[in-house]
Amino acid sequence: MQRTSRLSRELSLLATEPPPGITCWQNGQLNDLRAQILGGADTPYDKGIFNLEIIVPERYPFEPPKIRFLTPIYHPNIDSAGRICLDILKLPPKGAWRPSLNISTLLTSIQLLMAEPNPDDPLMADISSEYKYNKQLFLLNAREWTAKYAGQPRVPKPLEEKINQSETSASSESIKQKRKGGNISRKEKKSCPDS
Amino acid sequence: PAGGGGALCFRHCPLLLPQDRHGTAYEGFVTAQGRDFHIRILLPADLQLKNARIECSWHLKKILHEYQHILKQRLHSCPDLVSFMVELKTVLEIALKNTQDLHIPRPPEYYSCLVRDLEILGWNKVAYVDTGLTTVKLKAEDSCGRQHLITLKLNAKYPTEPPDCLVDFPIPFAVSWMPQNSLRDIYNQFLAALESLKEFWDALDEIDEKTWVLEPEKPTRSATTRRIAIGNNVSVNVEVDPHHPNMLPECYFLGADHGKAANSTCFSSGLTSLIQSLQLLEIDFPSRAVLEKSDFAKDCGICYAYRLDGSAPDQVCDDPRCGQPFHQACLYEWLQGLPTSRQSFNVIFGECPYCNKPLTLKSSMKKL
Repeated sequence: MQRTSRLSRELSLLATEPPPGITCWQNGQLNDLRAQILGGADTPYDKGIFNLEIIVPERYPFEPPKIRFLTPIYHPNIDSAGRICLDILKLPPKGAWRPSLNISTLLTSIQLLMAEPNPDDPLMADISSEYKYNKQLFLLNAREWTAKYAGQPRVPKPLEEKINQSETSASSESIKQKRKGGNISRKEKKSCPDS
Repeated sequence: PAGGGGALCFRHCPLLLPQDRHGTAYEGFVTAQGRDFHIRILLPADLQLKNARIECSWHLKKILHEYQHILKQRLHSCPDLVSFMVELKTVLEIALKNTQDLHIPRPPEYYSCLVRDLEILGWNKVAYVDTGLTTVKLKAEDSCGRQHLITLKLNAKYPTEPPDCLVDFPIPFAVSWMPQNSLRDIYNQFLAALESLKEFWDALDEIDEKTWVLEPEKPTRSATTRRIAIGNNVSVNVEVDPHHPNMLPECYFLGADHGKAANSTCFSSGLTSLIQSLQLLEIDFPSRAVLEKSDFAKDCGICYAYRLDGSAPDQVCDDPRCGQPFHQACLYEWLQGLPTSRQSFNVIFGECPYCNKPLTLKSSMKKL
């Protein structure tokens, strides 16, 4: 009941006053949103565009929305299925979700988590120890993943036909990526339960 | 051990000398930033540092006044006098840097030279001078009528050494300086730099004027990026090169895929002309939409609406600094699900979801 009024207000706010580097929109149904986070300038995710899926549960805002990365990201607190280890994404007593938070603040927190990983509460043990003990290698890997998965082809110089071609090839590529991500998530959901 | 400590102490503070054989009294000077301060340290018979007494000149006392608690803490934590003296010197260095008014006045030539320079330049170009005559802000207008400021931080060796120049530019601004130069030379270099950036600012001003810029909210003159709304939830991040403002800028699209595909063709075809002739593109850029702000302060902090099933928010956080309103039903549903809430008869004791202050909620007949 509260979900409808909450979401319509939140969506109009997100459309007119989006947080810096964040876009969020409705993906067909009311409870299915998509978001994009632009990688921060002083992070290895710089210039990357990361797609996220937001599923808003029936009991929202009494329950937090379910947010996961669709774009693969090399990060200590984000697993290969895109799940995010962040306390405000879980209900108390385990988590810290509360109805004073909203989708905009959650996305901003995720953007902050990207800039400041929390290696002491890791979801990806290998990446976490790499972050802690071999920062150079971590930065290298994270940058490589960003370029590989989160890069957006630069808008080519305006020659109409060329643009149309690259546009179609780029979009089919991103579909392939998403499918791949989807497969990974299904495969791994069984093996690694949320902590 | 007392003798050994004394020798070490001598190395760190050569002007602080023991006054007796037991090492319970020291007197002399502590040096920081090229200045000596009179100090006397009296230790109790057991040489316990935490019970030491420190006497000093009023000057030093005034400088260290705000750092008393730090020094007390250091007296407790330092194992011996030597390490305390090292700490004291560190604290003193910081304190001296932070106390401006105690700085030694600069040589008279500094002031006469600065005032002469300002007179040559013309006082009408001066926007601000601080009381110590160490920071000067000059204003300038470029040929397009934009106002600019340059902040000059002068050091004591002015004019032998150039002042530090702070500007709001997208590119570094380096001044070339000779000791015989004056502020006027810097000002002219500043004006020249403003003209070289004219095209860049023209381009960005045009974007700001004719499109809906989502961020930055209040762009500074040094900001090279703009996020422009180009449709419903679709935006483009444009980074303009200050050296080549009319070249195709670096762009990133953000937002729903379908909207992006539809927009990017027409957008990129016009992008080279974005800067030169925005008129062509105006059709594609929505103008700024202002969200109709229904009084946010009155709406329920949980469902974000004013009316819920016909009822208005009737609960308010007791803390006057928070004062967040809620619908009884919304607050009840949140609190009753929490392990931290406690219910006694028809009253729930919980916390405000906004400010965490304790809050009580009488549950109405509806939900019990």
